[in-house]
Amino acid sequence: MSVAAAIRTRDVGELPSRRDEDWRWTDLRGLIRVLPAPSESFAGTLAAGPFDRLAIDHHVLVNGGDARIDVAAGKKTLAALRLVSRGAGAHASRVTINLAAGARLRLLESYESDGASVCQTALTITLAEGAALERIVLAEDHEDAVSVSQAEVRLSPTSDFGQTIVTSGARRQRIETRASHPGGRASARMDGVYLLAGKRHADHTTVVTHDGVDGTTNQLIKGVARDQARGVFQGKIVVSEGADRTDARMGHHALILSDRAEVDAKPELEIYADDVSCAHGNTVGAMDEEALFYARQRGIPEAEARAMLTEAFIGQVIDRIWFEDARRVVRNWAAERLRV
Amino acid sequence: MLSVSNLHATVGEAQILKGLTLEVPAGEVHAIMGPNGAGKSTLSYVLTGRQGYEVTEGGATLDGEDLLALEPNERAAKGLFLSFQYPLEIPGVPALTFIRTALNAQRKARSEKEITAPEFLKLARQKAAELKIDFEMLKRALNVGFSGGEKKRMEIFQMAMLSPRFLILDETDSGLDIDALRIVSDGVNALRSPDRAMLVITHYQRLLDYIKPDRVHVLAGGRIVASGGPELALELERDGYDRYAKAA
Amino acid sequence: MAAVKQTVDQVASLEKYKHGFVSDIEQDFAPKGLNADIVRFISAKKNEPEWMLAWRLDAFERWLAMDEPDWAKVNFPRIDYQDSYYYAAPKEKVGIGSLDEVDPEILEVYKKLGIPLREQEVLAGVVGAPRYAVDAVFDSVSVVTTFKKELAQVGVIFCSMSEAIREHPELVKQYLGTVVPVSDNYFACLNAAVFSDGSFVYVPPGVRCPMELSTYFRINAENSGQFERTLIIADKASYVSYLEGCTAPMRDENQLHAAVVELVTMDDAEIKYSTVQNWYPGDPVTGKGGIYNFVTKRADCRGDRSKVSWTQVETGSSITWKYPSCILRGEGSSGEFYSIAITNGRQQADTGTKMIHLGANTRSRIISKGISAGRSSNTYRGLVSAHPKAKGARNFTQCDSLLIGKHCAAHTVPYIEARNGQAKFEHEATTTRLSEDQLFYAMQRGLSQEEAVQLLVNGFVKEVLQELPMEFAVEAQKLVAISLEGSVG
Ligand SMILES: Nc1ncnc2c1ncn2[C@@H]1O[C@H](COP(=O)(O)OP(=O)(O)OP(=O)(O)O)[C@@H](O)[C@H]1O
Ligand SMILES: [Mg+2]
Repeated sequence: MSVAAAIRTRDVGELPSRRDEDWRWTDLRGLIRVLPAPSESFAGTLAAGPFDRLAIDHHVLVNGGDARIDVAAGKKTLAALRLVSRGAGAHASRVTINLAAGARLRLLESYESDGASVCQTALTITLAEGAALERIVLAEDHEDAVSVSQAEVRLSPTSDFGQTIVTSGARRQRIETRASHPGGRASARMDGVYLLAGKRHADHTTVVTHDGVDGTTNQLIKGVARDQARGVFQGKIVVSEGADRTDARMGHHALILSDRAEVDAKPELEIYADDVSCAHGNTVGAMDEEALFYARQRGIPEAEARAMLTEAFIGQVIDRIWFEDARRVVRNWAAERLRV
Repeated sequence: MLSVSNLHATVGEAQILKGLTLEVPAGEVHAIMGPNGAGKSTLSYVLTGRQGYEVTEGGATLDGEDLLALEPNERAAKGLFLSFQYPLEIPGVPALTFIRTALNAQRKARSEKEITAPEFLKLARQKAAELKIDFEMLKRALNVGFSGGEKKRMEIFQMAMLSPRFLILDETDSGLDIDALRIVSDGVNALRSPDRAMLVITHYQRLLDYIKPDRVHVLAGGRIVASGGPELALELERDGYDRYAKAA
Repeated sequence: MAAVKQTVDQVASLEKYKHGFVSDIEQDFAPKGLNADIVRFISAKKNEPEWMLAWRLDAFERWLAMDEPDWAKVNFPRIDYQDSYYYAAPKEKVGIGSLDEVDPEILEVYKKLGIPLREQEVLAGVVGAPRYAVDAVFDSVSVVTTFKKELAQVGVIFCSMSEAIREHPELVKQYLGTVVPVSDNYFACLNAAVFSDGSFVYVPPGVRCPMELSTYFRINAENSGQFERTLIIADKASYVSYLEGCTAPMRDENQLHAAVVELVTMDDAEIKYSTVQNWYPGDPVTGKGGIYNFVTKRADCRGDRSKVSWTQVETGSSITWKYPSCILRGEGSSGEFYSIAITNGRQQADTGTKMIHLGANTRSRIISKGISAGRSSNTYRGLVSAHPKAKGARNFTQCDSLLIGKHCAAHTVPYIEARNGQAKFEHEATTTRLSEDQLFYAMQRGLSQEEAVQLLVNGFVKEVLQELPMEFAVEAQKLVAISLEGSVG
C-alpha cells in the first residue's frame, strides 16, 4: 500500500486512509474517489521557478519522471530541483541524490502545481562521510492539488543535513522525511513552516532514527492556520539501543488564527538508550493577546500588529536557514502570504 | 488634560475600581501611591484599553476627547503612553523594528509624514546615547532575555522615541539600580513641558526625589482617598497606609 | 543445592513484592471459560434483577463481535479467554456490615496488607489522623464496607456495586454505562458482560464527603480474572476523594484484570480519584506471571465548573494498559491527571490520559512521570483535543521520562488536536537518564548508591506525590523505592 502504487495501478484501495495510524490526519482514501488518468507529457514553456536565479544546476521534472544529482567527493554545487505538475492528471517522480565524501550541496527544491493533479515524489538522498546538504523546499501547490513528497535520507558519520520545508499547503499535502542517523557527530536539522489559508491542508511528517552514538537532531516547525485550514505535524525521534549521547530536540508551535482552523500534532519520542537527552515542546493556540496589546499600546494598529507578530513567529524558523540568498527568498515569500 | 471621573471597572468577576476621580492638568506631574492590589495598574490598563478590563460606570477623557471609545492604538496615537510594570517580551522582532513600526503607525494615524530610515536611526542613536543604552541591544528581539532593569530602560527609550503627550509610568523605578534610576528620571524630566502631563505610579519616595510631582494621590480600595502636595509622599513613607485603609 | 538456591531466590523476590503471598481460602468458582451461561451464572449468583442480566447478555453479544486491540506499544502472548475463571468468591457467606461473618482468613489477608477493615482500628490510630472508609473487594466480590452508617447520615451512599444494583436500581440504571458505553472497547465490553463487583458512591448535592473513601482490590484465586466496576456520582456542589489500592499474589500464570471506572460530576462538583496500583508485576527475570491490567477509567464532567482529578501511582502489573480520561463537557469544567508509572524487570506499561475539551473555558493539566528500569518498557500515550465549541480551552502537559539502565525503553506519544482558534495547548516532554553528576554528588555526601537513586527519583516524582492524600503519599513513596530496588549497579 502506497501512494506511488495507487498512482501506478489506479487502484484507490492502495491509498492510505485515516485508519492507518501514520495517516490518521491525512486521509487520502476518503478524499479520492477515483484516481485521475496519468498526466500527459508537457510540451509548453514553463515560467521561472522560485529559485531559478540562485542555482547553478537546474533539474526540472514536469508531470513525473526521474532525476539524479551526484556531487563528487570534495565538490560543491548549488542545484535547483523543480517538481512541476501541469494539468489534472496523476504522476509520480523519482529523484536520487548522492553526495560523496566531503561533498557539499545546496538543494533548492520546489513543488509547483496548477490544478487538481495527484502526484507523488520519492527522493532518496545519501550523504557520505563529511558531506553537507542543505535542502530548502518551497511547496507552492494549487488549492485543488493532492501532493505527496516522501524523502529517505541516509546520513553518514560526520555529515551535516539541514532542511527547511516551507509550504502553503494544498487540498491535501504531505511532505515526509525519514532520516536514518548513524550518530558519529553527524547532525540533522529538520525544520518546517506552514502558512495555510482557505481550506488548505499541509502535513509535515518526519522520522529520525538514531542508530549510533553521538548524534544530534534539532527540529523546529512553526505553522499558521487561518480560515478553515488544517495543519498537521507528526514528528518522531527514535533512539535505538546503544545510541548513547544522542541529543535530540523537537519543537512544534502553531498559531490558529480563526475559529474554524485546525492543528493536529503528534510529537513522539521512542527511546531505547539511557544516556540521552531528548526533549520536545509543542504549543498550539491563538496569538499571545498580551504581546498584541503591548504593540497596540505603542500605536500599532491591530492588523499590522498581528502581521508583525506572525512574521516574527515564523521568522525564527527562517533565520535558521544557512544559505542567506535562499533565506531572503523564503522570507519574502512568507511575508507576502502573511500580509492580509 | 487627563480627566477621570467616577470610574468603575471590573477585571473578570472582580470590581477593582470603585468610583475613581482624578484631574491631571497639562504641564503637571501627579504621583499615585497606594498599597499592593489597590488598583493602580488596573487604572493604567483601563486608560490604555487593555482587553478584559471592563468599565461599568464613569469615564475618562484626554483633552476633552472620550478615551474609552478608542482602540488601544488610537489612544497611543493621541499621545498616551504606558510604561508597563511588567514589560512584555516580543520574540523575533528587533527592538528597532518594533519602535519604527510604532512610530510610523502613530504618524500615519495623525496624518503626519513617515520618518525616513536615516532620520530614524539618527534619532535612535541620539536617544540611546542619552539613556546610556548600548545600541547593539536595540538590534536584539525586544526585551527577550533582557534583565528587569534593562526592560524598564527600554520602556523609557521607547517613550523618548515616541515622545508622547501623556505618560503613565507604572513602577518604572522598580528593578533599577541607583545610576539607572537617575538616567531614567533625566529621560522622563526631559519630556516635561507645558503641553505634556504625567502620572507616576510608585511605591517609593526615592523616585519622587528625581521626578518632582505637583500633586500626590493615595489610591486605596479602588478610589483616590487622599490628595496633597509633595509632602504627602513623605508622610506616607513615614506612616504607611494604615490611616487610609479605613477610608477605603 | 538447587533447592537452597531456589529458596534464596524466593525470599529475595518476596522482599521485592511484599504482597505476593497466597491465602488458602475456600473459594466458590464459576466453571472455567466464557459463554452466555457463565454470564447468567454470575448474574444469578448475585441475585440480580432481570434488567441487569439483559444488559450483561447484550454486552456479551457485542464482545463476541469485537477484535482484541493490538495498537498499544505492548507485547504479550494472546490471552485464552476460555482458560480463566470469571467468578471467584470466598465460600463463606458474605457478611454485609458485620465483620464477624467474614471468613477470618480474609480478615487475616487484609491485616497482612495493612488495610483497616475494623472501624475501631482506624479510630485507634494516631489522634487527628484522617479516617477513611474502605470497601474491600476480594477476587470477584466485595467482602466488607466500613463506615457505612456514618456516611449514610450525611446522605452519602458507599456500598458494593452488587448492593447498589439491588438497593439503588434507579441510580445505577441512570448512570451505569453512560460514561463508558458498553462497547467502548474490547476490555470494557468484556467487563460489562462479566463484571463481578466494585464500589458504588453517590454524594448528594452540597455534601462534602466527611472522609476519604477507598476500595481495596485483591486478586487471590488462581487463573481468575477480576472485572470490577466502579461508579461514582458527585451531585451538584459536592466533593469526594476516593482511593483505590490493588495487590495480587505471585503466580506463574498471568491473571487478567479488566476494570471499568465511571465518574460523573454535576455542576460545581469535584471528584478526586487516586490509585496506587501494585499488582504482581511478574518474575523480574523471565517476565513470567503477573497481572494484565487493562483498565478503562473515564470521567464525565457534565456539570459547569465541575472538576475531576486523577492521580495514579502505577508500579505493578506485568502489562498495564490504561488511560484515565476526562470528558470536559460542562462549561468551565476542569480535568487533571497526575501520574507516576514505574516499570522494572520485564514490565510493560502503556498509560496516559485523554482530555476531551467539549465545553467553553474548560481546563486540563497533565503531569506524567515515567521511570523505566531493567528490561522494561514505559509509554506515555495521551490525547488532548479541543472541539470547535470549546472556546477558551486550556491545556498544560508536562511529560518526563527517566531511564535507569541500558536495556529499558521510554516512549512519549502525545496526540494534540486543536479544532478552534481560541484554545491554547502547551506540551513539554523530556527524556533523560538519572544524572551521574547528581548521583555522585549525593554519594559524596555519604549516601549509598541505592539511597542516592531513591533521593533523586523522589525528587523526580515529587510533583505527583504531592497530589496524593497525605497518608497514601508516604506509602507511595515507599512503593517507589521498592519498585526500583536492584535497578542500579
Ligand atoms: N484577572 C483578574 N481577575 C480578578 N482579579 C484580578 C485580575 N487581575 C488583577 N486582579 C486583582 O485586581 C486588584 C488590583 O490589581 P492591580 O494590579 O491594579 O494592583 P496594583 O495597585 O497595581 O498593585 P501593585 O502595587 O502590587 O502593583 C488585585 O487585587 C488583583 O489581584
Ligand atoms: Mg501594579
